[in-house]
Amino acid sequence: MTLATAAHAPEGGTTAPAVRIRDLTVVYKTPAGELPAVSEIDMDLPAGTITGLVGESGSGKSTLALSLLNAVQPPGRISSGTVEIDGLGDVVPLQGDKLRRVRGGQIGYVFQAAQNSLNPLKTVGKQLLDLGRSHDVDDLRALVSEAKELLGRMGLDGARVLDSYQHELSGGMRQRVGIMLALVLNAHVVVLDEPTTALDMITQANILEIIRNIHAERGLTTLVITHDIGVVAEVADQLAVMYGGRIVERGPVRSVLGEPRHPYTQGLIRAIPRLTGDIDQARALPGRPPTLGTIPERGCVFRDRCELRMSVCDTVEPVLERHADQLVACHAVAGQEPDGGAPTDDGQEQT
Amino acid sequence: MISGTGIVKTFRQRGDVLGKNEVKALRGVDFTIPEGGAISFIGESGCGKTTLGRIIAGLETHDEGEITIGGVAMSSLRTRAQQPHFRRIQLIHQDPYSALNPTRTVHQALHDPLKLRARETGRSSQWIYERAEELLGLVGLDPGYVLPRYPHQLSGGMRQRVVIARALTVDPDVLVADEAVSMIDVSLRLGILRLLRDLREQLGVSLLYITHDVATARYIGADGDMYVIYRGQVVESGPTETIINQPVHPYTQSLLSAIPVLYGVEQPGAEQVTPIDSLTTAAVGETVDDAGCLFAPRCPFRTERCTRERPVLGDAVPALQDAEGRVHACFHPIERQVAATSVQAP
Repeated sequence: MTLATAAHAPEGGTTAPAVRIRDLTVVYKTPAGELPAVSEIDMDLPAGTITGLVGESGSGKSTLALSLLNAVQPPGRISSGTVEIDGLGDVVPLQGDKLRRVRGGQIGYVFQAAQNSLNPLKTVGKQLLDLGRSHDVDDLRALVSEAKELLGRMGLDGARVLDSYQHELSGGMRQRVGIMLALVLNAHVVVLDEPTTALDMITQANILEIIRNIHAERGLTTLVITHDIGVVAEVADQLAVMYGGRIVERGPVRSVLGEPRHPYTQGLIRAIPRLTGDIDQARALPGRPPTLGTIPERGCVFRDRCELRMSVCDTVEPVLERHADQLVACHAVAGQEPDGGAPTDDGQEQT
Repeated sequence: MISGTGIVKTFRQRGDVLGKNEVKALRGVDFTIPEGGAISFIGESGCGKTTLGRIIAGLETHDEGEITIGGVAMSSLRTRAQQPHFRRIQLIHQDPYSALNPTRTVHQALHDPLKLRARETGRSSQWIYERAEELLGLVGLDPGYVLPRYPHQLSGGMRQRVVIARALTVDPDVLVADEAVSMIDVSLRLGILRLLRDLREQLGVSLLYITHDVATARYIGADGDMYVIYRGQVVESGPTETIINQPVHPYTQSLLSAIPVLYGVEQPGAEQVTPIDSLTTAAVGETVDDAGCLFAPRCPFRTERCTRERPVLGDAVPALQDAEGRVHACFHPIERQVAATSVQAP
């Protein structure tokens, strides 16, 4: 199930750790029992690449990302599976102090709404020093100058920003501070959770450019989580589409966008209004995404909204299978082309 | 028809008598919402588009200029007499999670404005129930399921539909949708946009759509006008398709260039424009002195004239000010193709 890894790695990519997720299941305790928010996911983040994880609210994308830090909060817990990170090993059994050091140290996490994840009572500089102390950094001066350099590279005046409180910074600036805090301890794996939500177009384009540049300069392994396919199309090499706690399609970003195979991916792309061309090309996806309680226990998670639904979808859960460049979990797609050959563009209309 | 001319709004901080820290949110904006038409305001956060929307909905006062609703100039009326006019304009908020009272069911949320309406028109209380069900049907919800429920029991898309139904209770002429879909799940977004379009066709309500997402604005009002706002000034306006396909103002071009391209399906426009100092934009905007063109500090094509003189919308230079309605505020207008286009021909 490994995608071609080294192909996209930059020169410095040899030192960057890759992440291997195997059979990961995360459950949440509810009155109705323990329900899986993420079920049996296998995924690799190849070293030196940017992977985009796309899904709607409740698809489990943030839960999956949090489990990279082993930071799923109760009532949730990782019930099975492993998350191996190069140089660290499996992070699932880690606990206490060891786990705390890994978080922020080797793995950087830029939280959703970084705007709101800063402490309003402390200047950014004080928060940076807190971060340094909690990770036993001896040379705090070096840490500060590293932070200034990082902020400078993102187009900010480092000294001024470190002296500011969060309310003195604009949304785009706070997002950059979040990225700085995630990287200042030399993290090699970076998770960005909705990095551009609530930012306007020009700021978004700037932040995406920063993500691309920093990623290439530092040879990072990056995971970008978003609901906006456009964002992924701009920055990512690999794209994984999540639905109902499962990955339904995965592959190089241009092939997935250019020739989506899974009906959900197709519907999602079709539902994006475009700037040019026929407006009514955009069509809404019927139904609505499942919540934790309504994810079916058996069969395909997408079947209720699917136009290719077959009887087998009710009982058997499709597994990810290779079709040309992509991995797709769909019975209908598997049936269409048993040899894995490339389907024609209008394949879905004929069915 | 609703129109505004020369709308100015300045926010002052408390104690700022001399106006040193004042924020010029709007610097003389003209607009027209035609009967049953759709227009959109496009711009970055902080450009004044939301303030303008709130002024149009009567939730904010303006300092100068005139708003005319159905031929009646609002400045000629006392605040109380303005209310029935402003009631014909209803605002749909960005956040459907905070727009509904969490302690009241959907039925209660719709009941009160309908009761008011029933009293005005002398209808029975039976009508209130029928009308509530009719409105929910109109926005694509099942009344039996939704009416007895509290907002937290509904999904974001359903909540936004309830908010739209509530806005429709007073039979408005205009719906002002301020980033109405930015907090909705991607697969449900198009459904809400479609609904707004359908309402316009079925009920003849006009739409004012405020957003930074140009593609959704095009989906809603391809036949209407688009106003591009930068720091409180309209820098370019005209028919939506013209603005997207042949923009002339460098700001419009930067805005369109910043929209993510769906690589694999689309290719970026040939002449994309990036504002200079794009990484430090937030800092630049505030410190410019007000003499020249507002966009000059970030404009890659600025000349000496731009920093000296402020171009006026529709009057800067005669070139490319169309008779069809496109006007711009730029001394050096050049049409550039910046919007992404589909790779395969449709």
